[in-house]
Order: sequence, then C-alpha cells, then structure tokens
Amino acid sequence: MQKMRDAEIKAIIRAEDAWEPVGPTPMPTLTELRNWDFRLLNTYEPFYAPFCDLCCLCTYGKCDLTGNKKGACGIDIASQQARWILICSLMGTAAHGAHGRHMIDHLIEKLGEDKKIDLGSQVNVEAPIIRTVMGLKPKTLGDLRKAIEYVEREMIHLVSATHMGQEGDYRDFESKAFHAGMLDHVALEAADIAQIVGYGLPTSVADTPLVDLGWGAIDRTKPTIVVVGHNAVTANAIIDYLRSNDLYDQVEVGGLCCTAHDVTRYAGGAKVIGPLSRQRFFLKAGLADVVVTDEQCVVTDIPQLAKAAGAAMIACSDKICYGLENASARETGEILRAVLEEQKQFLILDPEKAAEVIVRAALELAPKRRAQKQLVTKEEGAMLAAKCRGTCEECNRVCPNLLPVSLGVSQARHGNFAKLGELFMRCHGCAKCEEACVNHIPILRLMQAAATWETYKMRSGRGPIHDVEIRKVGSPIVLGTIPGVVLFAGCSNFPGDIDDLAWLAEELARRKFIVTLSGCAAMAAAMSKDAEGKTIYEKYIPEFDAGCIVNVGSCVSNAHVVGAAIKIANIFAGLPNRANFELMSDYILNRVGACGVVWGPYSQKALAIGTGAVRWGIPIVLGPHGSKYRRLFMSKKEAGDWTVVDGRTRQLVDTAEPTPEHMMLVTETKERALVTIIKQCFRRNDTPPGRAIKLNSYISAYKQVIGGLPDDLQNFIRTEKEIPIVYKREVLAYLKEAGWQPKPVLSLPTIIGTYETKVPIEATIK
Amino acid sequence: MESETMVMPYYKVNVLTGTKAAKVIADPAEGAAIIDRAKNPLYIFGPEVIATPVGDKLLIDYALKIAKARDIPICATAHVKKKMLEQGVVPDSTYDIIEIIHFLKDKEWSGVRGKGYHDLVLFTGVRCDLAERGLATLKHFAPHLKTYAICRRSHPNADFALPVIVKEEKWRDYLAGLIGALGAFKS
Repeated sequence: MQKMRDAEIKAIIRAEDAWEPVGPTPMPTLTELRNWDFRLLNTYEPFYAPFCDLCCLCTYGKCDLTGNKKGACGIDIASQQARWILICSLMGTAAHGAHGRHMIDHLIEKLGEDKKIDLGSQVNVEAPIIRTVMGLKPKTLGDLRKAIEYVEREMIHLVSATHMGQEGDYRDFESKAFHAGMLDHVALEAADIAQIVGYGLPTSVADTPLVDLGWGAIDRTKPTIVVVGHNAVTANAIIDYLRSNDLYDQVEVGGLCCTAHDVTRYAGGAKVIGPLSRQRFFLKAGLADVVVTDEQCVVTDIPQLAKAAGAAMIACSDKICYGLENASARETGEILRAVLEEQKQFLILDPEKAAEVIVRAALELAPKRRAQKQLVTKEEGAMLAAKCRGTCEECNRVCPNLLPVSLGVSQARHGNFAKLGELFMRCHGCAKCEEACVNHIPILRLMQAAATWETYKMRSGRGPIHDVEIRKVGSPIVLGTIPGVVLFAGCSNFPGDIDDLAWLAEELARRKFIVTLSGCAAMAAAMSKDAEGKTIYEKYIPEFDAGCIVNVGSCVSNAHVVGAAIKIANIFAGLPNRANFELMSDYILNRVGACGVVWGPYSQKALAIGTGAVRWGIPIVLGPHGSKYRRLFMSKKEAGDWTVVDGRTRQLVDTAEPTPEHMMLVTETKERALVTIIKQCFRRNDTPPGRAIKLNSYISAYKQVIGGLPDDLQNFIRTEKEIPIVYKREVLAYLKEAGWQPKPVLSLPTIIGTYETKVPIEATIK
Repeated sequence: MESETMVMPYYKVNVLTGTKAAKVIADPAEGAAIIDRAKNPLYIFGPEVIATPVGDKLLIDYALKIAKARDIPICATAHVKKKMLEQGVVPDSTYDIIEIIHFLKDKEWSGVRGKGYHDLVLFTGVRCDLAERGLATLKHFAPHLKTYAICRRSHPNADFALPVIVKEEKWRDYLAGLIGALGAFKS
C-alpha cells in the first residue's frame, strides 16, 4: 500500500523534475507532520473556552461534560472543543478548496489544462506553498488541479476523524486541525494563481490602481449590479458581457466581500461597496437593481432582502441554491421574462448565461426602480424612530457587538442622528436589533439617515510578493532590523470602530514594519481618512518593504503572505523547500518575524487560515470575537521550556527567551493588540542590533498606549547591547530591580533536533 | 433577596448552553462575605473600568475601593494600567485577560504575589462576551478556584454573578453596598 502510494506521489509531483531534490514529506498525510505539531503543542498548549457544557453530536447524548464527566462515547471537554475546532477548520478549508476547484475547472474548460502558469518577470517561485507542501512545481492549470485533488483526498480522512468513536485526544484533534489549515493554504494558493493566470489579474506589479470603495461610490443614476461573495467567475463574466456589448460605462458593478476585491483586479471601473458587515445594510437601501450571489460569506436571507427591495436576484453557485429553480438549461429570453414580469429569482450555473440575464435585467429594471433608490431622509428617520422610548433595551441585548443601539434610535427620534452614525461604524449589520424591537422599527433602514456616504480609496489587490522584494528585505527581516511583517486578514466584525485596523496598520508602518492586508480587513482599513482626507493606501508606498502598506487581494490572496515567509527561507537563505515543510516552518518560527492579525474573525475560513499559519510557525493575534472560536495556543511565558538547538554547535541551549511568546491569543483592545503584535514579531534569531530595534518599537508603543515600561522586558533583553539607547538608563534600573540575567544569543536557532523527525540538523544550515 | 440560579444574562450572546450556571448574588452583603472568606483572591480589571461612568465617578473608582478594602492584588488587563498610573496606583500584574486566565488554570502557578494559586477571582470591566468565554475556561479547567463576576450584565459561566441590573443607580448602590459590607464576615 505504502509503495503504491509512494509511486503515485512520485508521478503526481513529477519527482524526476530536477529543480530541487524531493524532501522528506511530499504530499504529507494526516500523521506525517504529527511530531512537528506535537512539538509546537508542547510549548504552546491549547487553551479552550467552551461555548457549551454539552456534546450534542450523536444520539447517545446530549452528554454533560462539566467537571470530570465524559460523554457516552468517552470524550472529555477538551477533546470535544478540539473536535469542534477541527470541524470548523474543515468548513473553512472546504470553502476555499471548493472555490479553487470551481475556479480551476472553469478555467480549464475555457483555456485547457495545459494553460501555462506565468506570474510575470518578478515572480519565479510561483507557488511556494504548493512546492513546500506537495513537492510539486506547478507549471499549468492542470497542475493546480492536482493541488486541489490532494486537498480533497486528505479532507475525507480528516472529516472521518470527527465521527463519534474516532479520534479521542485533543492534541491529535489539534494536529488534524493544523493539517486542515495547511491544506487550506494549498487551496488558497491554487485558487489565486488560477485566477491570476486565467483572467490576467495584476502580477509582478506593486503599484496597482486605487479603486473607489464605499456605498457612496455607486452612481445611483446608472443600472446597478451588486455581486456578493468570494468567487468572481460570474462577476468577471458580467464584465466581459458589458465590454463586448459596449455597456461597460453605462452600468455600475459593485462588489460586497471578496468578489469585490477580485472583480476590481479584473476591471478597474468596478466598485468595492464594502465588507461583509455592509451586505444587509446596502441591500436594504435598495440601490442594487440586480443582486448576484456566488459563494462564501453571503448573508443567507439575500433572496428575501432582494425581493423586499424590488431587486432581481440570481444565484450562481451550486453551494448556495436557496431553493431556487435551476434555470441553467433554459433560454435566456425566457428566464429574463420571468425575472422581469414575475419577479422570479433563479439559480443559473452557466456564468455566461447568467451574465447576460443579469445585465439585461439591470438595464430593464433600473428606470422602473428610481423611486426605490431614494434613501431615508432625517425627517423620515425621525418618524420611523418615533415609537422608541429608549427604555426596553431589547435591541441592546441581542447586539453581538454589545452596542447601545437603543440610545442611538431614541436620539434619532428627536432628529439627532450623531449617535446612530457612530454605531453604524461599529455595526455588524446582522439586523438582530430589528428582530428584537418591540415596536418593529426598521433600524438598519433608519441607519440610512445616519450613515456617512463618503467614498474612500483602496489599492486593488496585487497578488504575489515579488522575488526581488524578498531578496531586498530577506536579510533585514532575518536579522531583525526590519521589526516584522504583519498580515491583517479576516472579516470586519471588529470590536471597536471600523477604523481600528487603519490605526493599527499605520502605527506599525510608522515603526517600519511591513504591513500587508487582505479580504474584508483590507477594505475596512480603507474606511478611515486622515485630516487631509487620505486613506492609508494613498499615504503609504505599496511595496513589500519597511514602512510600506500592501493590499494582497481577496481571502485567497492570503497565500501570498505565507508564501513570502517561505520565500525568505528559500530564496534569501537558500534552503530547499521542495516537500520540506518542517524545514521551512522551523525557519519561519525561529527567524522570520511574521505575525498574522485577525482582528474581526467571523467565518470558519478565517479560522482555517489562522490555524494553518500556526503550523507554519506564524503567530496569530485575534480580536475579542476570536475567543468564540474557543481555542488558542498559549505558552507559559518565562516558565516554559525554551530550549532549542544551536545549529552551529549542535548543542541544546536553554534560551530562557519566550519567543514567539504565544502562537494564538486574543487581545481585548486595539492598544493591547498593538504592543502584542510588536512582541509577537520577536524571534530567537534576532541579532542584538535587530532586537534593539524591535525593543525600541515595543517600549515606545507600550509607553504610548499602556503606560510605563513593559513589565516583561527581562524576558526579551539578552544582552545590554540590545537596550535601546533612548531608554537605556530607565531600562537598566528596571532590569536591576527585576533580577535580570543575560541570555544566550544564537545565530542559528532551530527546534529541529528537539523532537523525532526525518529532517537532519544539517539541513537547517546552508 | 435570596440567591437563585441564573436564567438569562443581559446580553443574549452570553446565554448559557449547558448544565452548570452561576449562583446569583443579589445581596451585596453576601458578595462581600464571599470575598471576605477568600484566602488569596485576585481582582481582574478590564478596560471598561476606565471608560464607564457610574454616577459622577468611573467604575474603576469603585473597583479600586473593593481591592483596597481587602488588599486584593489587581491584574490590569488591556490598557487599564495607564489610567491606574495616573491615579497613583501600580497594578500587581499587567497580563492581558487571556494570559491571566491561562495562568489561573494552573493550580501550581505562584500567583501574582507569589503566594500560590488564587482561590477567588473577581472580574469587573472586561468586555462581556470575552469575559464570558474566559469564565467558561475557568469553570471547566480550574476547579481549584471560584469566580465572581462583579458586572451588572450578569455572567452565567461564573460561579457567582450579579443579577441583571439595568438602572445605573441600582448598580451604584450594589457597588457601594459591597464596599460597605467588606470586612464584616471576618470581624
């Protein structure tokens, strides 16, 4: 069996291709990276925050898991949490994987499986994740399909492990969740490369165009099509239809969520309406003549929302059918008649046919819907709010962001919309407040009178980081003189104002971090302007370099930031990445000061992305909503075991230095997030000058937002040379009081050699 | 008022899904007795203590009085430390909320003053949904300690919680009552 599998793998990855020797773990199965996972878990213990005391997954239950009780199957509370994490990670991986599968199959049908992968003159290492995980150097769309097939093959085993009476240990569940997360990254990379190649999206260009963002960017006098979701196949077909029929300038195409990113990479004239949290608000405003859904993160009641707004609605994904009639085989004219005359909603799985129906419907409907595009005025808003006394607080009690909705609504009743406008900037758009309102006040509609209709500039997604950029920043990142690379990813259900992200990004860019963003987080970061009316995308250079800010693109583009970390090990350090997951991850963990931030997690996709990042050795900082995923990875800080191998001497060394300190943790406020992100970029490999620069950032930020000196400096200062000059006297006095002792500084730290692995220590040294 | 098992917290996102709910401490004197009985309590201040007015004071003013009355060590999470320093108070610990909960799970941990594990942990001012998750962690994984959420929004996963107190005056009265009653049990 194993021999057969080995032969199959060799054929899939074309083992005879001589670009690099095949490493120890080509296309790893569930258990091949288990020792690496357990090594991580030894230092970074899973932390669980159960949502529920029970397990309700089978008919043996419900089973109470409080105290030392076990379920009828024998599962305990920790393993049950870990099982949920695996299930949720699998949902996220499946969403990205199915997206990739659909995109790749569609493009192969159009362009053929031999369509070459060419990411331009600046990108030679085209697929660092697929190269590292699978050992395959993808050359064609057909090769990208192989990557998705690998993901699919592994997933069936992972899903199986969640069945009752299968896996029973929380650490093994976590190892499997890591596997799901890693597979997620394979799928992300395959999907984005496919669409770059298939649709000619920007690549090898840093200075991508600035595009309009915001509901105010939509020209209400034009027919308006709104695409919602994360898969731009149909959205791009709409653009093609408009272009080929000379209608491109006559129709507005706006996107909500990641489809917006990808359609603006394809067509600069398309608009980004906003992130996930704005879907319901915008659709209730009635500005869309036709609503188009593809897949992932689409609010589930969109058919009802579209109907209530008098808009047409077409679903275009087999993942989201809404009970609609499948009209894929019907004549276009016949579908159109039913849409216009009977207000019927359809599922159309043929993108070109859907595009024609959608555009023609928008052209027909727009002149008839002008009255429905009138927004609620302040006078009308005060009338709508008239019954609110601000005393029952039912709306407050159901708000998942804990907002004082009743205060905003009751003030609006008197014509004062300032508070409601503030709340709008923190609103998730779930409309639970409307449901709970005893007076049936349409609170989201009311917000039309309070919301800012400002437009913003966001740089469109640029895709892969360039190899030449990696060569330039590789050394300063590994030495520590660039203090870190930070990726802001995930959704927009932020705890505080929507401009939290812009604030964090700017604070880090000012301190010369490399700041990257993706998905709804990249949109939210654009929704804040400075005194001169500029967004961060207008103020900062869009390069992968110190003090710059880069939008990589949609959720699938997250792969390029993980890919950049791999490229540092591969291109800058010259270590082989082919089928060498542990070698790459060990390098990242010990030497690449990278940190992911998911400030507003929501979807299971965000969980899968974050979980995968941890397996690569990239720590994750979450906002408070992240606690609802129930699992974090925390060290015991200074009390933990921080022994590594010194690659030069091959000796075990107790570094007594908790870096990176945690692998996944929640912070409650943006202030705490700032200092935590900075600290999470410390690495054992930092040189003394590099560590001094990082400590300077840490101390300055800490003094700015928390006050005084950090009380854990003794953990991170290894020699007196590392104390920033400007704080020297103060820090020395503190260290004396804290009983600080110098710590070893290693130039080749590795955890290879501290656990059982096929990777020899020699491999960590070029 | 008699203590009763909790039914529904203020925020429905925090509704209990399970079998083990907080005991509601409606009488602040009963709450004071719980604190008085503790051998090594800890008080966790969340960022809402520095942002939430209670009458003409801030919530932190009441929380500090509770801590001072029984010399309870304070863990200032998030960015609470800055306000405390302005008031001339240095917190005993500045772990963030999840970090301190992580350490509290460990019975062998030395505690913020090196006196061993804390047998009672008080919470005030932590964002309600985050606090509830942290309280769930301690409920399941820290059987050696009890938690008391001094929060008017109420917390089902704590061992001891307040009833929902909607009116600010009643909230102020509860806090004042708690401060006034501290020490009575030991004396």
